[in-house]
Amino acid sequence: MLSCSSSAFQRVAFMLMAPKLKPQRLHQIAESGVEHLVKKARTMSTESSMKDAFSTYADYLNNFNEKRERVVKVSRDITMNSKKVIFQVHRLSKDNKEEVLEKAGKDLEAVRDQHFARLMKELQGTDFWKLRRAYSPGVQEYVEAATFYKFCLSGTLCTLDEINTTLVPLSDPSLEPLQINILDYILGLADLTGELMRMAIGRISDGEIEFAQRICQFVRQIHRELMLVVPKMDDSYDMKSKMEVMLQSVIKIENACFSVHVRGLEYIPLLGDNAPTSYLLGAADVE
Amino acid sequence: MAGGDGQVSHSLEKQFESFRVQLEESAALREQIRAVVMEIESATRLIQANLLLVHQSRPIPEVIEKAKEKIVDLKQYYGRLAEILEECPGQYYRYHGDWRSETQAVVSQLAFMHWLETGTLLVHTEAEEKLGLNSLEFGLETEDYLTGICFMSNDLPRYVVNRVTAGDYDCPRKVMNFLTDLHAAFRMLNLRNDFLRKKFDSMKYDLRRVEEVYYDVKIRGLISGGDPPGVQAVQGQS
Repeated sequence: MLSCSSSAFQRVAFMLMAPKLKPQRLHQIAESGVEHLVKKARTMSTESSMKDAFSTYADYLNNFNEKRERVVKVSRDITMNSKKVIFQVHRLSKDNKEEVLEKAGKDLEAVRDQHFARLMKELQGTDFWKLRRAYSPGVQEYVEAATFYKFCLSGTLCTLDEINTTLVPLSDPSLEPLQINILDYILGLADLTGELMRMAIGRISDGEIEFAQRICQFVRQIHRELMLVVPKMDDSYDMKSKMEVMLQSVIKIENACFSVHVRGLEYIPLLGDNAPTSYLLGAADVE
Repeated sequence: MAGGDGQVSHSLEKQFESFRVQLEESAALREQIRAVVMEIESATRLIQANLLLVHQSRPIPEVIEKAKEKIVDLKQYYGRLAEILEECPGQYYRYHGDWRSETQAVVSQLAFMHWLETGTLLVHTEAEEKLGLNSLEFGLETEDYLTGICFMSNDLPRYVVNRVTAGDYDCPRKVMNFLTDLHAAFRMLNLRNDFLRKKFDSMKYDLRRVEEVYYDVKIRGLISGGDPPGVQAVQGQS
């Protein structure tokens, strides 16, 4: 009854005042206490069920985003500390090999114990793939560090299985252990060649020609193998640009080896530890 | 030394050989997924084509009836996807990108259909149910669901305009109330700066357009039945 009469009033009001009114004015006219309550009661049920549903989504999104943040942080820590391992390996020279590599090995272990263990606590079940983007940079850097260390230690490639085996003891035995996936391993390996190139140039300047040549062989082989794998990768865009960089590294090492070869080995004893840079410059110029 | 090198290259080759095999397997799986996703895509298109008839003022029950028949197909396709994914447990998210956008489109159509039918929002669990999914093995991602809902919102202004043209003056109020509630509900979410956020940002333009239509209708006194409960909502927005 009440609503009926009020609406009749409204319609009259609209017709009279419509042309000049702005929306805000209309609302004021239309608003009456009773109507307000009636309307509230009627829309309450659908509105609140929608709110209930959305609060579930909000919880889900909050939890998931927080988790992602934590994973990103761990990934950064892994990157930072893996870089330190790489720097440590680069400190290697003719007469401190054992000492330098021992420390690098320990640092690498610390990365696993301190940071990978944290990563594994966060990732369970389908999270490995769901959050891959969040942790992939760190894992790639770790792969780079682990393979770099292993090559300098034994001259061999640290395989994915070997890396994954070292990660198994870190996770809760009741859960499926975190395993680095092929894609991250390959991406990490692609970065390894850059470090090996630096190492090769450094070794040549230090007179360790044979070591440099071994690096050269190894890097060529990796490049060749990766070339075959790249087109089969899921998102090969990243990888394609890495392949370009890798080829440049291979060529730089080859040029360095070439210049040592043509200039003859008689230069080497003269250089020794006194003037490594002059020879290095000579090698780097050849392109 | 030479012997050592030979050994190195052998184990190295072996590893990469196995990588190639594994990557090829994953590519083959992707092929299978893509085939099903294409079916999903075309079924969704048929549903959409059916639902588009509402713009031509076809009776809603008839339109929905036809569109509903296709949901059975969709359910079947999602069942097949789940079967394919069973082969590689835990890798749902490795391939998830392959059906993401198609699934968002599915959700938007289902939600629109549901709204036409009931005037309420299709919630996440209902959407999963309709597609025969369950979140334990093969679920509907919350983000995909939400994005699909945003897509649905994008379709509503056009619907309102055409309904009014066809003489249904009550429609703008209904849609406006619904969108206002939906927009308010979305604002409860802490979104990242991603695609969903962008889609949500576009929702306010849908709402504004609907409000404009409502205003146009109302100011000319075309709304029958008085008691316009949408008024409060508009005020809340402005």
